Amino acid sequence: MSVRKWPALIVTPLILAACATEIPGKYTDPKAGFLEVSSQTSAAIGKRTVLAQTQAENVALNKQVHGMVYRKTISADTAVQAALLNNKGLQASYAAVGISGAEVWQQSLLKNPVVSIGLFGIGAPELGVYRALESTIAFNLLDAATRKQRKALASAQFQQAQMNAVNETLMLANQTRQAWINAVSAFETVSYLRQASDAAAAGSELAAKLGQTGALNKAGQAREFAFNAELAGQLAKARLNATLAKEELTRLMGLWGTDVNYFVPDALPALPTSLRRVSSIEATALANRVDLKVAKIGLEAQAKAFGLTDQTRLVTDLELIAGFESERENDGGDTTTDTRPQLELEFAIPIFDNGEARMKKAELSYMQAANVLAERAVNVRSEARSAEAAYHASYQIARHYRDVVVPLRGTIEEEALLSYNGMITNTFELLLDVRQKLGSSLEASNAKRDFWLAQANVKAAIYGGGSGAAGGGEGMAIAAGGGAGH
Amino acid sequence: MMNRRQLLGAGAAAGALVSSQAWSQTSNRGLPEAAVMDTAATQSPTRPSTGVDYNPVVTLNGWTLPYRMNNGVKEFHLVAEPVERELADGMIAYLWGYNGQSTGPTIEAVEGDRVRFYVTNKLPEHTSIHWHGLILPSGMDGVGGLSHPGIPPGKTFIYEFDLTKSGTFMYHPHADEMVQMAMGMMGMFVVHPKDPEFMRVDRDFLIMLNAFDIDPGTYVPRIMTMTDFNLWTWNSRIFPDIDPLVVNQGDKVRVRVGNLTMTNHPIHMHGYDFKVTCTDGGWVPEAAQWPEVTVDIPIGGMRAYEFVADNLGDWAIHCHKSHHTMNAMGHDIPTFIGVDKRQLTKQIRKLQPEYMPMGTAGMADMGVMEMELPDNTIPMMTGWGPHGPIEMGGMFSVVKVREGIGADDYSDPGWYVNPPGEQAYEWTGELPEFATNTSPKTLITPKQTSKG
Repeated sequence: MSVRKWPALIVTPLILAACATEIPGKYTDPKAGFLEVSSQTSAAIGKRTVLAQTQAENVALNKQVHGMVYRKTISADTAVQAALLNNKGLQASYAAVGISGAEVWQQSLLKNPVVSIGLFGIGAPELGVYRALESTIAFNLLDAATRKQRKALASAQFQQAQMNAVNETLMLANQTRQAWINAVSAFETVSYLRQASDAAAAGSELAAKLGQTGALNKAGQAREFAFNAELAGQLAKARLNATLAKEELTRLMGLWGTDVNYFVPDALPALPTSLRRVSSIEATALANRVDLKVAKIGLEAQAKAFGLTDQTRLVTDLELIAGFESERENDGGDTTTDTRPQLELEFAIPIFDNGEARMKKAELSYMQAANVLAERAVNVRSEARSAEAAYHASYQIARHYRDVVVPLRGTIEEEALLSYNGMITNTFELLLDVRQKLGSSLEASNAKRDFWLAQANVKAAIYGGGSGAAGGGEGMAIAAGGGAGH
Repeated sequence: MMNRRQLLGAGAAAGALVSSQAWSQTSNRGLPEAAVMDTAATQSPTRPSTGVDYNPVVTLNGWTLPYRMNNGVKEFHLVAEPVERELADGMIAYLWGYNGQSTGPTIEAVEGDRVRFYVTNKLPEHTSIHWHGLILPSGMDGVGGLSHPGIPPGKTFIYEFDLTKSGTFMYHPHADEMVQMAMGMMGMFVVHPKDPEFMRVDRDFLIMLNAFDIDPGTYVPRIMTMTDFNLWTWNSRIFPDIDPLVVNQGDKVRVRVGNLTMTNHPIHMHGYDFKVTCTDGGWVPEAAQWPEVTVDIPIGGMRAYEFVADNLGDWAIHCHKSHHTMNAMGHDIPTFIGVDKRQLTKQIRKLQPEYMPMGTAGMADMGVMEMELPDNTIPMMTGWGPHGPIEMGGMFSVVKVREGIGADDYSDPGWYVNPPGEQAYEWTGELPEFATNTSPKTLITPKQTSKG
C-alpha cells in the first residue's frame, strides 16, 4: 500500500529551463536602473541625485546636507540640491525602480513546477482499503511560452518606473524651487507689511497724542487704532504664512532636527535685465518631457500586452499536467496496485469565450494608451506655450510694476510730502500715501515672485515635473484704512 | 520782445486754455488798437490827454485801458481771451481775462462821456459784458440772451452808451457767468466826476477782490467751487506780491474796493479811521458818512473810502477774515498744538526721511520754514518784513505813508524805520531814557524816513 509517485515528466521543465537567457546586469545590479534616472535628471536640472542604500551612505548624505543648510542662508539651487539628496520620498521612488528591475529579473526566471498530490478514498469506509493516490507535477506551459512577452512587458514597466523616478525627481526639484520662491516671497511680504505696520503705528501714536491734547475725538482715534490693529493682524498672518512656506520647503528638503535651523533670503533676486526668447519650446518639450516618455512606454507596454493576448487567445489557462496515477485495489484480500503514468492536458474550449472580448479589451487598452499619449502630447505643447507666455508676460508685468507703478507711487509720496510741507494735507494723509507706496512695492514683489515661479515652470514644461499650471497665486495686500485727520 | 498774447498764440500757452481761432480771420480794420499788458506790475496812472481833466486812478498790479477819440466818442477795445496771470512770483494761473490780463484793464472815463466798446471774443465760447452799476439802455446791459445775443467766438460786438453818473463801477461777463467769473473775467470801471474838484483826492487806488480755487500743482481754477476757494486775491494777485499803496504824507487818499468773490470781505486798514464815500450806487452824502476802520465789502458790491494820510509808517491793509490772508492751505489739518512729535518723528522718518514735524507750537513755523512745496504753489503764510515773517498771504498789502513822495510816484519806498520810542521793544528790567518822562505828553523823537 505504499505510495509511490515519481515524476516522469520532470524532464519537461528542464527542457523549458534551457530556454532561459542571460539576465542583463541592469536588472540584477544593486542600484538597478538608477544610473539612467540620475543621468536624465542631471541633464535636465544640473543637480546631483543619489540612491542611498546603506546606513553608511545615509550618514554621509546627512552630513553633506547638514553642511549645506545648517545655519546658512540658502539659495534656490542649494535648496533643490538638498532636497534631491535628502528627500526620503524620492529615495522611495528610486527604490521602486529597483523593485521593477527585480520584477524583470523575476519574469526572466521560469516558474517553478507545481507538484500536486491527491489521495482518494480516505474517509470512505465502503471503499475499504481502496486508495487512489494521484500525484502530478504541473508545469504551466503557457508560462514558458509567454515568458518572452512577459519579460518585455516587465522591462517596459521597468523603464516606466525609471521614467517615473525621473519625473518625481524633476517634480521634487520644481516643487522645491517653487517652495523656496514662495518662502522668500513670504518673507519679503513680511518686510513690506512691517513697514506699513510701522506707518500705521505712527498714525496710531499721532492719534493718541492728538487725543491727549483734545484735537481728535474718540472715533477718530479709534479709527487709527483699529487700522493699526488690523495691520498688526495682517503682519502676524504674513509672518505665519512665511513660517508655513518655509516649513513646506523644509519638508521638501527632508530636513529635521537641528538641520531646520537654516534661513532663506529676505527678498527675491532682482529681475533679470532681459529675457532670452525660449526657442521652439514646443519641440523641446516634446523631445524632453518625461511624462510624455512615460506615456510612450505605457503604449509600448500595451502593445506588448496586445501581442501577448493575441497568442493566448485560445489557450488561456492552458495547463499541461503530468504525473502518475497510482491505483491500489483490494481485490478479495489481494491488494493490487496499478500505477500509470498520466498526462493530462487541460484547456478551455472556446465555445463560449472565444477570446474576442479579451481581444477587444486589449485593443481598447491599446487605443486608450495611444489616446493618453496623444492627449499628453497636446497638453505638453499647450503647457509649453503657456509656460513661455507666462514667462514673458510675468516678466513684463513685474517690470511694469517695478518701472512704472512703484515710481508713480513714489512720485505720489514725494508730492504728498510737498503738500504736507505746505500744510495743504495732514500727516495722516502723508502716512496713507507712504502705505500705498508700500502696497505697490508689495504688488511689485508679488509680480516678481510670479515671474520667478513662471521661470521655474518653463523648466518643468520642458522636462516635466510641473503642475502644468502657469502663474502664481494671489499675494497679500496692505489693508486700506485710517486717515483720522478728517 | 513778444507780448503775452503772442506767447499765447505761439505756444498755445503750454497747452492751456484754448482761444478762439476764428477772430484772426475776421477783419479788424477800423477797430481801435486792442492794447495788451504782459506784466502784473502796477502801471503808472494814465493822465487824460483829451477831454475833461481828472485825477487818474491807480490799479494795484493793474493798468488802465487806453482809448481813442472818434467823433467825440471814447472808443475802447476789449478782447476777451485766455491769459496767463502771475498770481505771485512762482505761481502762474491759466485764466480767462481781457487784453492779456486778469483782472482786465481798468476803464476810466468822465461823467457825460459817450463811450463805445468794441468787445472781441477770443474765448472758445460766447461771452458778454455787463456794466455793473452803470445806468444805460437795457440792450447795452450785457446780459446774454436777455439784453442781446451772446458774442460768439471770433466776433466783435459794440456796446455804446452815455456815462450819466460818476462813481465806482465794475464790468464782468453775464454769459456762462459762473465759469467766466471763476476763470478771472472782471475789471473795474471808474467814472470821474465832470467837475474835477468834486470829491477830488490826491491818490485813488483800485482793488478788485477776487478768488480762485487752484489746487497746488495745477494752473487752472476749479470753476465749480462755490465756497472753498484757496487763493484770495486782489486784482488776481496774492500777497506778498500785491504792490503796496504808496502815499505821500498829507495826501487825501481814496481806496476803491470791489468784490466779485462769493463771500463778503471786511477790509480793515491800520493806522487810520476813514469814511466810506462811494458805493456802486453813487457818492455817499457827507451827512451819511460815518467813521470806520473796517469796511465790509458786500458780494457784488463796491465801496470807496477816504482818509488823509497824516500818520507816517507802514500800515497793514487786509481782509479781516483770517483765512483770506492765507494762501493755499488744507482745511482737514488736525490741530497739532501741544502734540509732542519727537518720538513720532523718528518713526515716520524711517519711512519718509524728509518728514518735518510741524504745528506743535502753532503754525508760525510755516512762515519761517522754507520747505519744498508742490509746483506752482506758494506757502500758506509768507511775506517778510523788516522785523521777520509777516505770516500773511492772500488779501493783504501795506499802506506806506512817507514824506516827500512825488505826485506820480508809486514806487515802493521800502520799509519804514520807526523812530526810537515808537517801536515795541523788549523789557529788560528798566525803562530806557527816552521812555522816562515826567510829563504826560509823549516825547516824540525826530521822525525819520527811509527809502529802499
